[in-house]
Amino acid sequence: MKLFDCNACFGTSMLRPLRYAESGEELLAEMDYYGIAEALVYHARQRDDSPVVGNEILIEAIKPHPRLHGVLAILPLQTGELVKGSREEILERMKENGIKAFRAFPSEHKYLMTRTSLSPLYDLMCERNIPLFISINESSGGISGWYLIEKILADAPELTLIVTEHGSWGQDRFFRPLIEKYENLYLDISRYELDGGLSDFCRKYGADRLLFGTGFPNWNPGGPILMLLQADISRRERQAIGSGNLERILRRARL
Amino acid sequence: MKVGSSRKPHPSPLVQEFLEKGRNESCPVIDMHAHLGPYQGIYFPNPSAEDMIRTMDRCGVRLVVSSSHAALIDTRENIKMVDTVRRYPNRFRAYWVINPNYPERIEDEIEAFSKAKGFVGFKFLSDYHRQPLTSPRYALALEYANEHKLLVLMHTWGGSPFDSPSHVEQLARKYSEATLLMGHSGYGEWEKAIQLAKDYQNVYLELTAAYAVNGVIEWMVKEAGSEKILFGTDLPWFDPHYGIGCVIFSRIEDEDRHNILHINAERLLAPYLSSRPFP
Repeated sequence: MKLFDCNACFGTSMLRPLRYAESGEELLAEMDYYGIAEALVYHARQRDDSPVVGNEILIEAIKPHPRLHGVLAILPLQTGELVKGSREEILERMKENGIKAFRAFPSEHKYLMTRTSLSPLYDLMCERNIPLFISINESSGGISGWYLIEKILADAPELTLIVTEHGSWGQDRFFRPLIEKYENLYLDISRYELDGGLSDFCRKYGADRLLFGTGFPNWNPGGPILMLLQADISRRERQAIGSGNLERILRRARL
Repeated sequence: MKVGSSRKPHPSPLVQEFLEKGRNESCPVIDMHAHLGPYQGIYFPNPSAEDMIRTMDRCGVRLVVSSSHAALIDTRENIKMVDTVRRYPNRFRAYWVINPNYPERIEDEIEAFSKAKGFVGFKFLSDYHRQPLTSPRYALALEYANEHKLLVLMHTWGGSPFDSPSHVEQLARKYSEATLLMGHSGYGEWEKAIQLAKDYQNVYLELTAAYAVNGVIEWMVKEAGSEKILFGTDLPWFDPHYGIGCVIFSRIEDEDRHNILHINAERLLAPYLSSRPFP
Protein backbone atom coordinates (compact mmCIF):
# COMPACT_ATOMS: atom_id res chain seq x y z
CA MET A 1 0.00 0.00 0.00
CA LYS A 2 1.28 3.42 -0.91
CA LEU A 3 1.68 5.99 1.86
CA PHE A 4 1.52 9.69 1.02
CA ASP A 5 2.15 11.78 4.13
CA CYS A 6 0.02 14.93 4.18
CA ASN A 7 1.69 16.45 7.22
CA ALA A 8 5.47 16.51 7.48
CA CYS A 9 7.97 19.24 8.22
CA PHE A 10 11.73 19.54 7.83
CA GLY A 11 14.43 22.09 8.46
CA THR A 12 15.81 23.82 11.52
CA SER A 13 13.07 25.16 13.78
CA MET A 14 13.23 27.58 16.65
CA LEU A 15 12.48 24.82 19.14
CA ARG A 16 14.57 21.74 18.50
CA PRO A 17 12.59 18.50 18.22
CA LEU A 18 14.20 15.39 19.69
CA ARG A 19 14.63 14.01 16.19
CA TYR A 20 14.29 15.93 12.94
CA ALA A 21 15.37 16.16 9.31
CA GLU A 22 17.51 19.14 8.42
CA SER A 23 17.21 18.83 4.65
CA GLY A 24 15.06 17.32 1.96
CA GLU A 25 17.61 14.52 1.67
CA GLU A 26 17.36 13.73 5.37
CA LEU A 27 13.59 13.78 5.22
CA LEU A 28 13.67 11.34 2.31
CA ALA A 29 15.90 9.04 4.35
CA GLU A 30 13.34 9.12 7.17
CA MET A 31 10.54 8.42 4.70
CA ASP A 32 12.47 5.47 3.29
CA TYR A 33 12.87 4.02 6.79
CA TYR A 34 9.12 4.16 7.29
CA GLY A 35 8.17 3.13 3.75
CA ILE A 36 6.52 6.45 2.91
CA ALA A 37 6.48 7.09 -0.82
CA GLU A 38 5.64 10.80 -1.00
CA ALA A 39 5.00 13.67 1.35
CA LEU A 40 3.32 17.05 1.34
CA VAL A 41 5.78 19.10 3.33
CA TYR A 42 6.47 22.48 4.82
CA HIS A 43 9.77 23.91 5.95
CA ALA A 44 10.13 24.92 9.60
CA ARG A 45 11.16 28.40 8.45
CA GLN A 46 7.74 28.84 6.80
CA ARG A 47 6.27 28.69 10.29
CA ASP A 48 9.03 30.10 12.49
CA ASP A 49 10.31 32.86 10.18
CA SER A 50 8.56 35.31 7.88
CA PRO A 51 6.56 33.15 5.49
CA VAL A 52 7.98 35.25 2.66
CA VAL A 53 11.44 33.98 3.57
CA GLY A 54 10.21 30.49 4.46
CA ASN A 55 8.29 29.98 1.22
CA GLU A 56 11.42 30.65 -0.81
CA ILE A 57 13.49 28.27 1.34
CA LEU A 58 10.86 25.57 0.89
CA ILE A 59 10.69 26.00 -2.87
CA GLU A 60 14.45 25.71 -3.26
CA ALA A 61 14.76 22.80 -0.83
CA ILE A 62 12.23 20.55 -2.54
CA LYS A 63 13.17 21.37 -6.13
CA PRO A 64 15.48 18.35 -6.58
CA HIS A 65 13.06 15.94 -4.92
CA PRO A 66 9.97 14.84 -6.87
CA ARG A 67 8.74 12.82 -3.87
CA LEU A 68 8.40 16.00 -1.82
CA HIS A 69 5.46 18.31 -2.55
CA GLY A 70 5.34 21.76 -1.03
CA VAL A 71 2.73 24.04 0.48
CA LEU A 72 2.78 27.84 0.51
CA ALA A 73 2.33 29.60 3.83
CA ILE A 74 -0.34 32.30 3.53
CA LEU A 75 -0.68 35.87 4.80
CA PRO A 76 -3.41 38.44 4.33
CA LEU A 77 -2.73 40.05 0.95
CA GLN A 78 -3.34 43.56 2.30
CA THR A 79 0.25 44.07 3.50
CA GLY A 80 1.65 43.26 0.09
CA GLU A 81 4.19 40.79 1.50
CA LEU A 82 2.92 37.67 -0.18
CA VAL A 83 2.29 39.29 -3.58
CA LYS A 84 2.96 42.78 -4.84
CA GLY A 85 0.09 42.86 -7.30
CA SER A 86 -2.96 40.68 -7.81
CA ARG A 87 -3.70 37.30 -6.27
CA GLU A 88 -2.99 35.73 -9.68
CA GLU A 89 0.70 36.21 -8.93
CA ILE A 90 0.36 33.49 -6.32
CA LEU A 91 -1.07 31.11 -8.87
CA GLU A 92 1.83 31.79 -11.21
CA ARG A 93 4.32 31.06 -8.46
CA MET A 94 2.54 27.89 -7.51
CA LYS A 95 2.39 26.73 -11.13
CA GLU A 96 6.07 27.45 -11.67
CA ASN A 97 7.01 25.40 -8.64
CA GLY A 98 4.44 22.62 -8.74
CA ILE A 99 2.79 23.70 -5.49
CA LYS A 100 -0.86 22.79 -5.06
CA ALA A 101 -1.72 23.61 -1.45
CA PHE A 102 -1.62 26.33 1.18
CA ARG A 103 -0.89 26.17 4.88
CA ALA A 104 -1.88 28.69 7.57
CA PHE A 105 0.16 29.51 10.68
CA PRO A 106 -1.92 32.32 12.20
CA SER A 107 -0.44 31.89 15.72
CA GLU A 108 3.06 32.67 14.55
CA HIS A 109 2.24 35.07 11.72
CA LYS A 110 -0.33 37.11 13.65
CA TYR A 111 -3.40 37.59 11.49
CA LEU A 112 -7.10 36.97 11.77
CA MET A 113 -8.58 34.03 9.96
CA THR A 114 -11.69 35.93 8.94
CA ARG A 115 -13.33 36.90 5.68
CA THR A 116 -12.22 40.48 6.29
CA SER A 117 -8.58 39.41 6.31
CA LEU A 118 -8.55 36.55 3.87
CA SER A 119 -11.42 37.08 1.45
CA PRO A 120 -9.33 37.15 -1.76
CA LEU A 121 -7.43 34.04 -0.71
CA TYR A 122 -10.52 32.16 0.46
CA ASP A 123 -12.20 32.96 -2.86
CA LEU A 124 -9.15 31.79 -4.78
CA MET A 125 -8.99 28.55 -2.83
CA CYS A 126 -12.70 27.85 -3.30
CA GLU A 127 -12.81 28.77 -6.99
CA ARG A 128 -9.80 26.64 -7.81
CA ASN A 129 -10.14 23.82 -5.27
CA ILE A 130 -6.80 24.61 -3.68
CA PRO A 131 -6.66 22.96 -0.27
CA LEU A 132 -5.69 24.75 2.92
CA PHE A 133 -3.92 22.90 5.73
CA ILE A 134 -3.99 24.03 9.36
CA SER A 135 -2.94 22.42 12.62
CA ILE A 136 -5.52 22.22 15.38
CA ASN A 137 -2.86 23.80 17.60
CA GLU A 138 -3.08 27.12 15.78
CA SER A 139 -4.95 30.10 17.19
CA SER A 140 -6.04 33.42 15.73
CA GLY A 141 -7.19 36.52 17.54
CA GLY A 142 -8.08 34.61 20.68
CA ILE A 143 -9.92 31.82 18.88
CA SER A 144 -8.34 28.38 18.76
CA GLY A 145 -9.05 24.69 18.33
CA TRP A 146 -12.31 23.57 16.78
CA TYR A 147 -13.86 27.02 17.29
CA LEU A 148 -11.27 28.36 14.88
CA ILE A 149 -11.96 25.55 12.42
CA GLU A 150 -15.69 26.26 12.51
CA LYS A 151 -15.00 29.98 12.06
CA ILE A 152 -12.93 29.31 8.94
CA LEU A 153 -15.55 27.02 7.47
CA ALA A 154 -18.44 29.33 8.35
CA ASP A 155 -16.61 32.05 6.40
CA ALA A 156 -15.73 29.76 3.50
CA PRO A 157 -18.04 26.72 3.49
CA GLU A 158 -16.74 25.46 0.13
CA LEU A 159 -13.12 25.52 1.24
CA THR A 160 -11.16 22.27 1.18
CA LEU A 161 -9.72 22.37 4.70
CA ILE A 162 -7.45 19.73 6.18
CA VAL A 163 -7.03 19.82 9.96
CA THR A 164 -3.79 18.21 11.08
CA GLU A 165 -2.66 16.56 14.34
CA HIS A 166 -6.02 17.03 16.01
CA GLY A 167 -4.94 15.37 19.20
CA SER A 168 -5.68 12.15 20.93
CA TRP A 169 -7.65 13.08 24.03
CA GLY A 170 -11.22 12.71 22.86
CA GLN A 171 -11.87 14.81 19.75
CA ASP A 172 -14.79 13.07 18.04
CA ARG A 173 -17.44 15.07 19.89
CA PHE A 174 -15.77 18.20 18.52
CA PHE A 175 -15.20 17.25 14.92
CA ARG A 176 -18.06 14.93 13.98
CA PRO A 177 -20.66 17.73 13.85
CA LEU A 178 -18.30 19.70 11.60
CA ILE A 179 -17.66 16.68 9.38
CA GLU A 180 -21.42 16.33 8.92
CA LYS A 181 -21.94 20.00 8.10
CA TYR A 182 -18.92 20.79 5.91
CA GLU A 183 -18.34 18.31 3.11
CA ASN A 184 -14.83 19.56 2.25
CA LEU A 185 -13.44 19.18 5.77
CA TYR A 186 -10.75 16.51 6.10
CA LEU A 187 -8.74 15.21 9.04
CA ASP A 188 -5.23 13.85 9.08
CA ILE A 189 -4.80 10.74 11.21
CA SER A 190 -1.40 11.53 12.70
CA ARG A 191 -2.91 11.77 16.21
CA TYR A 192 -6.25 10.00 15.71
CA GLU A 193 -5.23 7.31 18.17
CA LEU A 194 -8.67 6.47 19.51
CA ASP A 195 -9.11 2.70 19.75
CA GLY A 196 -11.56 1.73 17.03
CA GLY A 197 -11.66 5.35 15.86
CA LEU A 198 -10.69 4.78 12.24
CA SER A 199 -13.11 1.91 11.67
CA ASP A 200 -15.93 3.61 13.55
CA PHE A 201 -15.43 6.81 11.53
CA CYS A 202 -15.30 4.90 8.23
CA ARG A 203 -18.49 2.98 9.03
CA LYS A 204 -20.36 6.23 9.62
CA TYR A 205 -18.77 8.64 7.14
CA GLY A 206 -16.74 6.52 4.75
CA ALA A 207 -12.98 6.75 4.32
CA ASP A 208 -12.84 9.73 1.99
CA ARG A 209 -12.47 12.36 4.72
CA LEU A 210 -9.33 10.97 6.37
CA LEU A 211 -5.74 11.47 5.21
CA PHE A 212 -2.60 9.67 6.28
CA GLY A 213 -0.22 12.03 8.06
CA THR A 214 2.69 11.61 10.42
CA GLY A 215 3.25 14.98 12.06
CA PHE A 216 6.98 14.42 11.57
CA PRO A 217 9.26 15.52 13.19
CA ASN A 218 7.31 16.05 16.41
CA TRP A 219 5.38 12.81 16.32
CA ASN A 220 6.52 9.24 15.80
CA PRO A 221 5.42 8.09 12.31
CA GLY A 222 5.36 4.46 13.44
CA GLY A 223 2.09 5.04 15.30
CA PRO A 224 -0.18 6.08 12.45
CA ILE A 225 1.53 3.63 10.08
CA LEU A 226 0.83 0.47 12.08
CA MET A 227 -2.59 1.78 13.11
CA LEU A 228 -3.59 2.33 9.47
CA LEU A 229 -2.05 -0.89 8.14
CA GLN A 230 -3.94 -2.96 10.71
CA ALA A 231 -7.18 -0.98 11.12
CA ASP A 232 -10.38 -2.98 10.81
CA ILE A 233 -11.33 -1.35 7.48
CA SER A 234 -11.44 -2.52 3.87
CA ARG A 235 -8.47 -2.50 1.52
CA ARG A 236 -10.10 0.25 -0.51
CA GLU A 237 -10.60 2.38 2.59
CA ARG A 238 -7.00 1.79 3.68
CA GLN A 239 -5.67 2.86 0.29
CA ALA A 240 -7.92 5.91 0.22
CA ILE A 241 -6.60 7.07 3.58
CA GLY A 242 -3.02 6.03 2.83
CA SER A 243 -2.68 8.06 -0.36
CA GLY A 244 -5.78 8.12 -2.58
CA ASN A 245 -7.64 10.92 -0.86
CA LEU A 246 -4.69 13.30 -0.84
CA GLU A 247 -3.90 12.51 -4.46
CA ARG A 248 -7.51 13.26 -5.38
CA ILE A 249 -7.47 16.55 -3.45
CA LEU A 250 -4.24 17.67 -5.12
CA ARG A 251 -5.49 16.55 -8.55
CA ARG A 252 -8.59 18.70 -8.16
CA ALA A 253 -6.56 21.86 -7.57
CA ARG A 254 -6.76 24.05 -10.71
CA LEU A 255 -3.83 26.40 -10.97
CA MET B 1 12.57 4.17 -3.55
CA LYS B 2 10.59 5.22 -6.60
CA VAL B 3 7.46 7.26 -6.23
CA GLY B 4 4.55 4.95 -5.58
CA SER B 5 6.68 1.91 -4.93
CA SER B 6 5.59 -0.52 -2.29
CA ARG B 7 7.05 -0.89 1.18
CA LYS B 8 10.41 -2.63 1.58
CA PRO B 9 10.57 -5.29 4.29
CA HIS B 10 11.81 -3.97 7.63
CA PRO B 11 15.21 -5.43 8.59
CA SER B 12 13.79 -6.70 11.88
CA PRO B 13 11.62 -9.83 11.43
CA LEU B 14 9.83 -8.85 14.64
CA VAL B 15 8.81 -5.51 13.17
CA GLN B 16 7.94 -7.06 9.82
CA GLU B 17 5.62 -9.60 11.44
CA PHE B 18 3.76 -6.84 13.30
CA LEU B 19 3.42 -4.91 10.02
CA GLU B 20 2.08 -7.92 8.14
CA LYS B 21 -0.08 -9.60 10.77
CA GLY B 22 -0.73 -6.92 13.36
CA ARG B 23 0.66 -9.18 16.04
CA ASN B 24 3.69 -11.27 16.81
CA GLU B 25 3.55 -14.66 18.45
CA SER B 26 7.01 -14.27 19.95
CA CYS B 27 6.13 -10.89 21.39
CA PRO B 28 2.85 -11.17 23.34
CA VAL B 29 2.24 -7.59 24.42
CA ILE B 30 1.33 -6.69 27.99
CA ASP B 31 -0.38 -3.35 28.55
CA MET B 32 0.44 -2.01 32.01
CA HIS B 33 -1.81 1.05 31.85
CA ALA B 34 -5.39 0.43 30.86
CA HIS B 35 -8.86 1.35 32.05
CA LEU B 36 -12.41 0.09 31.54
CA GLY B 37 -15.77 1.59 30.67
CA PRO B 38 -17.00 4.98 29.45
CA TYR B 39 -15.58 8.26 30.74
CA GLN B 40 -16.36 11.97 30.84
CA GLY B 41 -14.43 13.70 28.08
CA ILE B 42 -14.26 11.17 25.27
CA TYR B 43 -16.33 9.02 22.96
CA PHE B 44 -15.13 5.41 23.08
CA PRO B 45 -16.14 2.96 20.32
CA ASN B 46 -14.85 0.05 22.44
CA PRO B 47 -15.35 0.67 26.17
CA SER B 48 -16.47 -2.71 27.58
CA ALA B 49 -14.31 -5.60 28.71
CA GLU B 50 -15.51 -7.64 25.74
CA ASP B 51 -14.73 -4.79 23.32
CA MET B 52 -11.29 -4.47 24.85
CA ILE B 53 -10.62 -8.18 24.48
CA ARG B 54 -11.50 -7.96 20.78
CA THR B 55 -9.00 -5.13 20.41
CA MET B 56 -6.40 -7.06 22.37
CA ASP B 57 -6.84 -10.09 20.13
CA ARG B 58 -6.52 -7.93 17.01
CA CYS B 59 -3.30 -6.34 18.29
CA GLY B 60 -1.62 -9.32 19.93
CA VAL B 61 -2.07 -7.98 23.46
CA ARG B 62 -2.06 -10.88 25.86
CA LEU B 63 -2.99 -9.05 29.06
CA VAL B 64 -3.94 -5.59 30.31
CA VAL B 65 -3.71 -4.18 33.81
CA SER B 66 -6.67 -1.85 34.26
CA SER B 67 -8.36 0.52 36.63
CA SER B 68 -12.04 1.21 36.13
CA HIS B 69 -12.84 4.71 34.90
CA ALA B 70 -15.77 4.86 37.28
CA ALA B 71 -13.47 4.10 40.21
CA LEU B 72 -11.41 7.19 39.40
CA ILE B 73 -14.47 9.12 40.55
CA ASP B 74 -15.99 6.84 43.20
CA THR B 75 -13.68 4.16 44.56
CA ARG B 76 -16.61 1.92 45.40
CA GLU B 77 -16.59 1.27 41.66
CA ASN B 78 -13.36 -0.71 42.04
CA ILE B 79 -15.82 -3.58 42.23
CA LYS B 80 -16.10 -3.34 38.43
CA MET B 81 -12.53 -4.54 38.07
CA VAL B 82 -13.07 -7.27 40.68
CA ASP B 83 -15.82 -8.59 38.47
CA THR B 84 -13.87 -8.16 35.23
CA VAL B 85 -10.80 -9.98 36.52
CA ARG B 86 -13.03 -12.78 37.81
CA ARG B 87 -14.72 -13.17 34.41
CA TYR B 88 -11.54 -12.86 32.33
CA PRO B 89 -8.68 -14.08 34.52
CA ASN B 90 -6.39 -14.70 31.56
CA ARG B 91 -6.79 -11.25 30.04
CA PHE B 92 -7.12 -8.76 32.91
CA ARG B 93 -5.29 -7.78 36.07
CA ALA B 94 -6.19 -4.64 37.95
CA TYR B 95 -5.12 -1.65 40.00
CA TRP B 96 -7.21 -0.51 42.95
CA VAL B 97 -7.91 3.22 42.62
CA ILE B 98 -7.19 5.38 45.67
CA ASN B 99 -9.02 8.74 45.75
CA PRO B 100 -7.28 10.97 48.32
CA ASN B 101 -10.27 13.31 48.43
CA TYR B 102 -12.08 10.75 50.58
CA PRO B 103 -9.35 9.95 53.11
CA GLU B 104 -11.82 8.42 55.56
CA ARG B 105 -12.44 5.60 53.07
CA ILE B 106 -8.84 4.67 52.36
CA GLU B 107 -8.35 2.21 55.20
CA ASP B 108 -11.45 0.29 54.10
CA GLU B 109 -10.29 0.46 50.49
CA ILE B 110 -6.98 -1.14 51.40
CA GLU B 111 -8.81 -3.83 53.36
CA ALA B 112 -11.02 -4.53 50.34
CA PHE B 113 -7.97 -4.59 48.08
CA SER B 114 -6.24 -7.14 50.32
CA LYS B 115 -9.16 -9.53 49.84
CA ALA B 116 -9.63 -9.01 46.11
CA LYS B 117 -8.17 -11.40 43.54
CA GLY B 118 -6.17 -10.31 40.55
CA PHE B 119 -5.12 -6.86 41.78
CA VAL B 120 -1.44 -5.99 41.51
CA GLY B 121 -1.39 -2.69 43.41
CA PHE B 122 -2.82 0.81 43.42
CA LYS B 123 -3.63 3.52 40.89
CA PHE B 124 -3.17 7.22 41.74
CA LEU B 125 -4.54 10.02 39.52
CA SER B 126 -3.18 13.03 41.35
CA ASP B 127 -3.50 15.66 38.60
CA TYR B 128 -7.23 15.00 38.43
CA HIS B 129 -7.76 14.39 42.16
CA ARG B 130 -5.73 17.57 42.81
CA GLN B 131 -3.75 16.18 45.69
CA PRO B 132 0.04 15.97 45.42
CA LEU B 133 1.57 12.52 45.39
CA THR B 134 3.46 13.60 48.51
CA SER B 135 0.22 14.32 50.42
CA PRO B 136 -0.14 12.40 53.70
CA ARG B 137 -3.45 11.21 52.27
CA TYR B 138 -1.55 8.73 50.10
CA ALA B 139 0.65 7.53 52.95
CA LEU B 140 -1.49 4.59 54.09
CA ALA B 141 -1.64 3.13 50.60
CA LEU B 142 2.04 3.74 49.96
CA GLU B 143 3.07 2.16 53.25
CA TYR B 144 0.91 -0.86 52.45
CA ALA B 145 2.38 -1.07 48.93
CA ASN B 146 5.88 -0.81 50.38
CA GLU B 147 5.25 -3.50 52.97
CA HIS B 148 3.75 -5.91 50.43
CA LYS B 149 6.04 -5.01 47.51
CA LEU B 150 3.14 -3.91 45.29
CA LEU B 151 3.00 -1.93 42.07
CA VAL B 152 1.73 1.66 42.16
CA LEU B 153 0.73 3.18 38.82
CA MET B 154 0.78 6.95 39.10
CA HIS B 155 -0.40 9.42 36.48
CA THR B 156 2.64 11.68 36.09
CA TRP B 157 3.00 14.86 34.02
CA GLY B 158 5.87 17.28 33.55
CA GLY B 159 5.52 20.50 35.52
CA SER B 160 2.45 19.32 37.41
CA PRO B 161 1.97 20.71 40.92
CA PHE B 162 0.59 17.29 41.86
CA ASP B 163 2.50 14.50 40.11
CA SER B 164 5.66 15.71 38.42
CA PRO B 165 8.80 13.56 38.35
CA SER B 166 10.07 15.55 41.36
CA HIS B 167 7.10 14.35 43.39
CA VAL B 168 7.87 10.79 42.35
CA GLU B 169 11.46 11.17 43.45
CA GLN B 170 10.38 11.91 47.02
CA LEU B 171 8.32 8.72 47.08
CA ALA B 172 11.01 6.61 45.43
CA ARG B 173 13.39 7.27 48.28
CA LYS B 174 10.86 6.68 51.02
CA TYR B 175 9.06 3.64 49.59
CA SER B 176 11.92 1.73 48.09
CA GLU B 177 10.16 -1.67 48.27
CA ALA B 178 7.15 -0.51 46.25
CA THR B 179 7.45 -0.47 42.46
CA LEU B 180 6.51 2.97 41.17
CA LEU B 181 5.27 3.12 37.59
CA MET B 182 5.44 6.63 36.16
CA GLY B 183 2.33 6.68 33.98
CA HIS B 184 2.99 8.76 30.83
CA SER B 185 6.67 8.93 31.90
CA GLY B 186 6.25 12.39 33.44
CA TYR B 187 5.14 13.65 30.01
CA GLY B 188 7.29 16.54 28.84
CA GLU B 189 9.76 16.49 31.72
CA TRP B 190 11.64 13.72 29.99
CA GLU B 191 15.13 14.35 31.29
CA LYS B 192 14.09 14.26 34.93
CA ALA B 193 11.84 11.24 34.45
CA ILE B 194 14.56 9.31 32.66
CA GLN B 195 17.05 10.22 35.37
CA LEU B 196 14.70 8.84 38.04
CA ALA B 197 14.30 5.55 36.19
CA LYS B 198 18.08 5.37 35.94
CA ASP B 199 18.76 6.26 39.58
CA TYR B 200 16.04 4.32 41.39
CA GLN B 201 15.68 0.60 40.96
CA ASN B 202 11.98 0.82 41.88
CA VAL B 203 10.99 3.51 39.35
CA TYR B 204 9.77 2.61 35.84
CA LEU B 205 8.82 4.68 32.81
CA GLU B 206 5.39 3.81 31.42
CA LEU B 207 4.79 4.84 27.82
CA THR B 208 1.09 5.71 27.42
CA ALA B 209 0.89 8.82 25.19
CA ALA B 210 4.62 9.40 25.64
CA TYR B 211 5.39 6.93 22.86
CA ALA B 212 4.01 9.38 20.29
CA VAL B 213 6.81 11.87 20.92
CA ASN B 214 9.30 11.21 18.16
CA GLY B 215 12.69 10.18 19.54
CA VAL B 216 11.74 9.86 23.20
CA ILE B 217 11.82 6.05 23.24
CA GLU B 218 15.35 6.03 21.86
CA TRP B 219 16.37 8.53 24.56
CA MET B 220 14.81 6.42 27.31
CA VAL B 221 16.47 3.24 26.08
CA LYS B 222 19.86 4.91 25.78
CA GLU B 223 19.81 6.54 29.21
CA ALA B 224 17.58 4.46 31.46
CA GLY B 225 17.80 1.13 29.61
CA SER B 226 14.95 -0.79 28.04
CA GLU B 227 14.63 -2.84 31.24
CA LYS B 228 13.03 0.18 32.90
CA ILE B 229 10.34 0.89 30.30
CA LEU B 230 6.80 -0.49 30.25
CA PHE B 231 4.19 -0.43 27.53
CA GLY B 232 0.72 1.02 28.12
CA THR B 233 -2.12 2.55 26.09
CA ASP B 234 -4.89 3.81 28.41
CA LEU B 235 -7.11 1.30 26.56
CA PRO B 236 -9.99 1.86 25.71
CA TRP B 237 -8.49 5.27 24.88
CA PHE B 238 -5.75 4.46 22.39
CA ASP B 239 -5.40 1.85 19.67
CA PRO B 240 -2.63 -0.48 20.85
CA HIS B 241 -1.34 -0.62 17.29
CA TYR B 242 -0.54 3.09 17.50
CA GLY B 243 1.66 2.60 20.57
CA ILE B 244 3.16 -0.65 19.32
CA GLY B 245 3.98 1.08 16.02
CA CYS B 246 5.85 3.81 17.89
CA VAL B 247 7.86 1.23 19.85
CA ILE B 248 8.73 -1.10 17.01
CA PHE B 249 9.74 1.68 14.59
CA SER B 250 12.02 3.29 17.18
CA ARG B 251 15.71 2.88 16.38
CA ILE B 252 16.35 0.29 19.08
CA GLU B 253 17.26 -3.40 19.11
CA ASP B 254 14.77 -6.26 19.07
CA GLU B 255 15.86 -7.13 22.61
CA ASP B 256 14.72 -3.64 23.68
CA ARG B 257 11.41 -4.04 21.85
CA HIS B 258 10.78 -7.33 23.67
CA ASN B 259 11.73 -5.79 27.02
CA ILE B 260 9.35 -2.87 26.56
CA LEU B 261 6.43 -4.73 25.05
CA HIS B 262 6.29 -7.71 27.42
CA ILE B 263 9.40 -8.99 29.21
CA ASN B 264 9.59 -6.25 31.86
CA ALA B 265 5.88 -6.56 32.55
CA GLU B 266 6.14 -10.36 32.82
CA ARG B 267 8.87 -9.90 35.41
CA LEU B 268 6.88 -7.40 37.48
CA LEU B 269 3.64 -9.34 37.19
CA ALA B 270 5.16 -12.77 37.86
CA PRO B 271 3.71 -12.97 41.40
CA TYR B 272 0.24 -12.25 40.01
CA LEU B 273 0.19 -14.38 36.88
CA SER B 274 0.65 -18.04 37.56
CA SER B 275 0.99 -18.63 41.27
CA ARG B 276 -2.07 -16.80 42.61
CA PRO B 277 -5.29 -18.81 42.42
CA PHE B 278 -8.49 -17.34 41.05
CA PRO B 279 -11.99 -18.10 42.29
